[in-house]
Amino acid sequence: MFTYVCVCVCVCVCVCVCVCVCVCVCVSPLQMEKVIVAMQDPDMGMKMRNQRLLITVIPHAMTGVCVLLLWCSTESLHLGNMLVKYGYIYPLKEPRCLVLRPDESPYRFQVRPLSMSILPTFYNPAIYLAKKNIRKQGELMEYEKERYSLLHKRINHTWDFVVMQAREQLRASKQRRKADRIVLECQEQAYWLINRPPVRSITLHCIQLYCAIEACRKALGRNRVKSSICLEGFLKYSEQYLNHDPIMQGCLPSNPWISDDTAHWTMNAEIVPVPTRLRVERWSFSFMELLNDAMGRREFMTYLEKEFSAENLYFWQACEDIRHGESSKIVEKVEDIYKNFLAPGAARWVNIDSKTMDKTLEGIKRPHRFVMDDAQMHIYFLMKKDSYPRYLKSDLYKNMLAKAIVPQETKKSVFPFMRRQRHSSPSPAQTATQAAEEEGLAKGAGANSAAGSHF
Amino acid sequence: MPLVNNKVGNDCTVGTDKTLADGKDLVESVIKVVACYRHLAACVGGCTDSLQLRDELRQTREKALNLAEAIRLHLTSHLRDKSLPEDQRKEMELLWVAFSSSLELLHVDMCKVFSMGDNFSLANTASLVQTGLQGGGSEVAARALSLADLNQEPPTLPAGLESQERSTMEQEISQIDHMIDDMEKKVNVLRWMVEPRGPQYADPLSSTESASLALLSVDEEQPGHEPRCQRSLIFVFLLLFAVVLVAATLSVCLVLFS
Repeated sequence: MFTYVCVCVCVCVCVCVCVCVCVCVCVSPLQMEKVIVAMQDPDMGMKMRNQRLLITVIPHAMTGVCVLLLWCSTESLHLGNMLVKYGYIYPLKEPRCLVLRPDESPYRFQVRPLSMSILPTFYNPAIYLAKKNIRKQGELMEYEKERYSLLHKRINHTWDFVVMQAREQLRASKQRRKADRIVLECQEQAYWLINRPPVRSITLHCIQLYCAIEACRKALGRNRVKSSICLEGFLKYSEQYLNHDPIMQGCLPSNPWISDDTAHWTMNAEIVPVPTRLRVERWSFSFMELLNDAMGRREFMTYLEKEFSAENLYFWQACEDIRHGESSKIVEKVEDIYKNFLAPGAARWVNIDSKTMDKTLEGIKRPHRFVMDDAQMHIYFLMKKDSYPRYLKSDLYKNMLAKAIVPQETKKSVFPFMRRQRHSSPSPAQTATQAAEEEGLAKGAGANSAAGSHF
Repeated sequence: MPLVNNKVGNDCTVGTDKTLADGKDLVESVIKVVACYRHLAACVGGCTDSLQLRDELRQTREKALNLAEAIRLHLTSHLRDKSLPEDQRKEMELLWVAFSSSLELLHVDMCKVFSMGDNFSLANTASLVQTGLQGGGSEVAARALSLADLNQEPPTLPAGLESQERSTMEQEISQIDHMIDDMEKKVNVLRWMVEPRGPQYADPLSSTESASLALLSVDEEQPGHEPRCQRSLIFVFLLLFAVVLVAATLSVCLVLFS
């Protein structure tokens, strides 16, 4: 009779609480707190019971089915699960199972810490695990032991503090009554179950990071060169590229930023019927220049097809695609490469030395972004040493060079003050020579004056 | 100010041993106070939250800050002394690391209490979460303050304690911030060079302590625990049954032979 009355009361108030919950469902935690408070209201909320452990009685427990009865909507189970998942309620019987069960299993509220500290402190999980270790005398779960040793490695220098703090916290908890101790322990356990970090395993992401780190390490270990030698190299580079630099030489036909004529850009677009001469000349500077230019790559491909070694370039392109492409497609791309280029009897079989081939085949079993690096490097150097010099000497290239256009500089306008400038600003070389002349004149004039501070 | 130690021989080692022992005592007491503060902070926002709890938090905090100031002066002065022998320096560095870790923990706990105090105002007791806690934290606070027992009668606390406390908390939090920064600037301790003394797995506490604590641990989903619980229940029932049986036979005997 009494239970019937209780159930009726619950059903009657569910309408009021439903409205409140609908408003508060998807907003900030403070509003969630209001829901919790409404749930605990002695008049309107649910009936709290006592949890009976062996000899201890702890109040403020409730059953799962009570929580669900509070809201008579289809969303109530989902909302209840959310409450458990985010730690507003925690289960008392099976703490690891963070679900709201619609039966007699007991739950309890806890105060959810609203803002965690911004800096990650490793002390908190370490102290919790140390406490648990002491209490259970070494019987931790597998993932807890793993986490414990990881933390031990990470904050090894302060491990004495961790152990001392764990002991002190246990001693402080002894000062409280048994029921309170149990509640606090359950709360802490629930908190760490919810905030448990995912178990670490060596994932592909780690392998990729490792490869990137290795590349940086190799770069750091490169031989240092004397600045006199590398300055010579820099000078040679500058001389080679002098004619190709728009600031030093100006761009033909005219600088689009000044003359508002976009002919320069259209002539130097990715794919044009006839490339400019400067562009074709640049292909002879280095192999990378040739490959980076779309038209150059196409021309080179035509040449290689004549020489029956085009599969090298296709392979290199496919490897570049993997290195710079989407992560999700890596596995299938690696499969394709294997099928087309590396498998015995493949359509476009590439010639790689046996050591690299073995290493690559091993790596294909766990494909990641940099798995084809060694093979790609091998083929790149093969092309660079072998095919590239021959291409530069070939008729194909020479014809290209002859066909290439040299755009005419836009004629100066009739009116002098409407001259279209080829140079965006006076070339630094010109200003330097002018300054040197002026200095020479000044020196000549100042030769008569007394030798003073000459700067 | 660096200490100039002119004494040679046994006297100076005794002096530094004493300072080391002092430092250790201070660091141990600050760790104890920080642990107690954490315990008290766990109750904020729950049904046992009250003005008295906030007052206890305040007292514990004051004690922690006083201890922290003392340790900071002590350790900074010794670590800046260049004539400190190497092994003493290593000990000091261990203490330093422990002290800075406890400061960081205290800072985190204070920030937590501050933000919780914002959201769970004592003015509206209905908004406190019913967490199942029943008792207050007076004993924990007494342990923190190293008093045998706190005042028997709770002092009359002013109603405006909460807002007053908030402003002092803000000041204290920034005080700890400055202390941490200051420490980093004044003394350069290479943390990765410091080696701890103790083992990775802490030895269990003394047998009496661990036994009593083990009894409290709540049943988890480990297969070992379930039969243990059932076994104890069965034992209790058997005992009861035996007692009832004895009582029954005694009464039967009484009836038969009277």
